[in-house]
Amino acid sequence: MTLLKHFLLLLIVGSIAIGCSSKSSSQKENKNVVLGKLELSNGWARPASQGQNSAVYLTIANGTASDDTLLNIQSDAAQKAELHESYKDENSTVGMRPVDRQPIPESEKLLLKPGRLHIMLMNLKRDIAVGDSVSVSLEFAQVGTRTLQVPVKIQE
Amino acid sequence: MSNNCFTPTLQALFTALLLSLVILACSKPETIKDLSDASYKLLNTDSSTVDFPQDYKGNISVVSFIYTHCPDVCPVITANMKNIQSGLEDTSDIQFIEISFDPQRDTPQVLKEYKKLFQLNSQFSLLTGEPGPVDSLLSQLNIVAKKIQPDSLQQDSSQYDMIHSNKIYLMDKTGKIRAEYPASNVPPKNVIEDIQKLR
Repeated sequence: MTLLKHFLLLLIVGSIAIGCSSKSSSQKENKNVVLGKLELSNGWARPASQGQNSAVYLTIANGTASDDTLLNIQSDAAQKAELHESYKDENSTVGMRPVDRQPIPESEKLLLKPGRLHIMLMNLKRDIAVGDSVSVSLEFAQVGTRTLQVPVKIQE
Repeated sequence: MSNNCFTPTLQALFTALLLSLVILACSKPETIKDLSDASYKLLNTDSSTVDFPQDYKGNISVVSFIYTHCPDVCPVITANMKNIQSGLEDTSDIQFIEISFDPQRDTPQVLKEYKKLFQLNSQFSLLTGEPGPVDSLLSQLNIVAKKIQPDSLQQDSSQYDMIHSNKIYLMDKTGKIRAEYPASNVPPKNVIEDIQKLR
């Protein structure tokens, strides 16, 4: 009977210990508590054929109380997704280049729009046509990963 | 007294200025490049051979330059071409021509798909061709297009980007280039006004 009591006591203590440790691990994953909201809106993607490239445009509004940084992008439609910017050089030729981590200060917006910053969907896995939608996941340093569906449409 | 002296001079100046503005507004654009005797054998989306610009004489042509792997600026150019088209009340004597400066990847079939995806109607011709004639035409029209290998894609040589000119040309009915615009951001009304002058 005493042995059973000891066993039950150990079981309770063990459970409490596991519960505490799993809670702390979960807190690490969620990082810091961020007040406010980071909102993604006005998203859309250009049509393109399989194997080609497309672009995604959207507005990222950092309504949180802390600066954030866009770290990585993924999409179900493309082998790779990166933040790029179009630029014009001194000879008026135009091109594109990748943009590294993009900071978004608190209470500010990052606009991804035609001819400027955009998400480049590289080497599309399938055709994406008007009426389709594409899933895009954006990983931020503070708020974690946000995923949104954007419609495919033609610029007017 | 001094007012009396200057008034006729000022009036004359204003009149001259107004006249100049009227003449400028009504004058047709000068010839930038004469292609009337030129002949470049290119390929249409159905793989048929076209003779540029001979096959397009008799109509006014709005001509731009793109590559279909371009996800941002080139679709903006295409959108601008469509906006010029939709801004015209009468498009019966107008053609819209987009020439690829990436003939290696932009086959007639690829351009056909691009035309379909971007919902371009039959007034649009999307042209490609053998690198020789394409390069020769681009050189004649001062169109720059250079391959670049982004760092992130260096492993795969077929996955290149391009830096390129950003131009729309307006070609008259005789094959002369009469105006040039920044393709991705020219207001459509500017092109439409010049089209009206060439009609």
